[in-house]
Amino acid sequence: MPIQWLDKLIRRARVKSPWLLHFDCGSCNGCDIEVLACLTPVYDVERFGIVNVGNPLHADLLLVTGTVNRRNGRVLTNLYEQMAAPKVVVAIGSCGLSGGIFRTAYNVIGGVDQMIPVDVYVPGCPPRPEAIIDGVFLALDRLSRPAKSSDRPPLKPVAGRSSP
Amino acid sequence: MNHALIILGIGLVAGPLLGGLAGGLDRIVTARLQARTGPPVWQPYYDVIKLMAKELVVVNGWQAFCVYSYLFASMLALILFVMQSDLLLILFTQALGAVFLAMGALASTSPYSQVGAHRELLQILTYEPLLFLVGVGIFLETGSFKISVVMQWKDPLILKLPLLFAALGYVMIIKLRKSPFDLAASHHAHQELVRGVFTDFSGPLLGMIEIGHWYDTVLILGICSLFWATGPVPMAALAAAAYATIILIDNAAARLNWRWMLGHVWAMGLALALVNLICRHQG
Amino acid sequence: MRTSVIPFGPQHPVLPEPLQLKLTVEDEVITEAVPALGYVHRGLEALAQNRDFHQMVQVTERVCGICSVLHAICYCQGLEDIMGITVPPRARYLRVIWGELLRLHSHLLWMGLFADSFGFESLFMQLWKIRERVLDIQEATTGNRVISGTIRVGGVSRDMDARQVHWIADQLTWVAHQVRQIEPVLREDFTIRRRTEGKGVLTSAQARELGAVGPVLRASGIAQDIRQTGYAAYGELDFEPVTATAGDCHARCMVRLGEIDQSIDLIHQALDRLPGGDIRSEVRGRPQGETLMRVEQPRGEVVYYIRADGGKTLSRVRIRTPTFANIPVLVKLLPGIFLSDVPVVVLSIDPCVSCLER
Ligand code: SF4
Repeated sequence: MPIQWLDKLIRRARVKSPWLLHFDCGSCNGCDIEVLACLTPVYDVERFGIVNVGNPLHADLLLVTGTVNRRNGRVLTNLYEQMAAPKVVVAIGSCGLSGGIFRTAYNVIGGVDQMIPVDVYVPGCPPRPEAIIDGVFLALDRLSRPAKSSDRPPLKPVAGRSSP
Repeated sequence: MNHALIILGIGLVAGPLLGGLAGGLDRIVTARLQARTGPPVWQPYYDVIKLMAKELVVVNGWQAFCVYSYLFASMLALILFVMQSDLLLILFTQALGAVFLAMGALASTSPYSQVGAHRELLQILTYEPLLFLVGVGIFLETGSFKISVVMQWKDPLILKLPLLFAALGYVMIIKLRKSPFDLAASHHAHQELVRGVFTDFSGPLLGMIEIGHWYDTVLILGICSLFWATGPVPMAALAAAAYATIILIDNAAARLNWRWMLGHVWAMGLALALVNLICRHQG
Repeated sequence: MRTSVIPFGPQHPVLPEPLQLKLTVEDEVITEAVPALGYVHRGLEALAQNRDFHQMVQVTERVCGICSVLHAICYCQGLEDIMGITVPPRARYLRVIWGELLRLHSHLLWMGLFADSFGFESLFMQLWKIRERVLDIQEATTGNRVISGTIRVGGVSRDMDARQVHWIADQLTWVAHQVRQIEPVLREDFTIRRRTEGKGVLTSAQARELGAVGPVLRASGIAQDIRQTGYAAYGELDFEPVTATAGDCHARCMVRLGEIDQSIDLIHQALDRLPGGDIRSEVRGRPQGETLMRVEQPRGEVVYYIRADGGKTLSRVRIRTPTFANIPVLVKLLPGIFLSDVPVVVLSIDPCVSCLER
């Protein structure tokens, strides 16, 4: 009985206190400034306990904007692997989803899911801050479920990853 | 005996709870000052519970040891305080804890955490002499380092030692990690060192540091409240006023660098403290 | 004296963008700074070869989401130059309005990040709160908050009605009022001056030699502003470049502060004189020829070189962005300063990595 109670408390705490890490992975800045705008007075995500910690070791949520290329893909996987479980990933903007308008450019591999498993996709070019906050909430749903490492698909081996 | 146990319980449990509450209020007031709504009051508790339940990533075995030591020292300092023990003993215990925290950060190889630890040590170097002088001032006034004696003192100390209280303000700003002296680690990670000393602590370890910080907050506010120790109400009022002032300063100042901090705090703080002490001693 | 190398970026909370600086630090003093680039390189210039020249407008807007409209304006002006199209006056004025709104929001954004870089959180929040109002205007007139997509070859795709014109003027008065309230803090506050004055000083000789552009150049006392060449409708509006002489971070902040007022003034002027008529002239045929076009962005002068061989696509688009010109300045300024001043100096040139690497 106390165990269940504790479990419930922990899950509630997870939903109430998601710390986010924002990584600009080759975006055009349009999405980044919208992510930053979420932190500021009009949208103020701190209402929900969300703070930008800027450190993968502390973060629960990884917000990725922009397309993946060979150089920043390595950084992205590093960041993802450094984050402690439980963790969720939100891909933001058409670029983060599929490469968007840059899909056919020569130095673009594609969306974020080419590198790391993504939980929530937020479309838009750029998505409005409301949409981003909504995406984060969908991701929180995943955090509230018990975390098992077997839940996650393994990292996909893609050309450009440092090591398979 | 029973009485002592109850006091011990209060120190151990109510201490951090109060510290967390203070942290929550701080976040709300800060947010309001920034034209935002801010999180609920109990946000710090959620943060810590979440951190405790996260996966443990230890970069180096030393880290864990240092964090345990820090937490233990902070607890001990607060317990000594509520048991109204010797002020000097309390000051040294909490200094020990602070040094352990810096040592834990030094144990990792990340440059951010190294530089952060370096700055943390400089901060300790900056505020320790002032804190010590505060102790000496209280001793000269009341004739004892014992908090129990201070508590029995009839007149508010702040009337006799106003400048020393101002010097304690510097210590509080540094100790509570507020602008302009949030050099080693700030609450919001928008500085050149990411999270400074905290950079390489994660999950449960960070949670424990956070709890340690709650103990520290209560301890430093407690020391501050000794300056009007005529009853619980003035004590609480003084501590609250000092805390509110510090939050205000935090929101109206940029972060300065450590060279300036060392020079300014030593020059101003020591001058304030010494002038006050000398005046009292002459008169 | 320990020497250590601190990797500043590519993921760092001070700079939302992945710019990496390898800082060699000796006792918290920088001895060497090497920028490592390429994290955001997408290859946009090459996209010109497989997109039609009309589609390419949308791509140039996404060279950088912050300077978006001005990239598109520069590109379209280049094509109009090649194809000999005259843009209707109303479109030229609308371009000025959107361009200046963009400068306004970009400078407010920068000022917020700058305040954040020296740990002045509440100032950051206030400035971004004001900026939201500018974004509201953009949303009301273009349909999108950040990337507007209203610029077309030959003109613009959206018009404003008289009601909107009034409303914009009202909103801008509010913005100007708010900025005026914050101005004394930026100008006078002791801690801010302590952190910015005398930091990262660039003399006017150095600025000229290193080829600095934009506010960085003007803060060193050189009054150069590409808007003075009179492109779009700037030839018909009154303004003077804002300059400062100190050449330090505080001077750069003051120049941008002055430009906020200037932008508001320019928009008011443009709204007053907004002529009637068409907003887009017809575009016939395929471009053939080459051109070099310059436009003043919030961060400085952007240069587009466009070559067209009479096909549906362009054969070469080359973009020289302002940050590209300012990076040598940054590399020159960093050695010798304290680690704690790095964010302030880096932000003082307003780096836009997405522009820089395209
Ligand atoms: S989705 Fe659009 S706004 Fe976002 S990074 Fe991509 S191009 Fe820029």
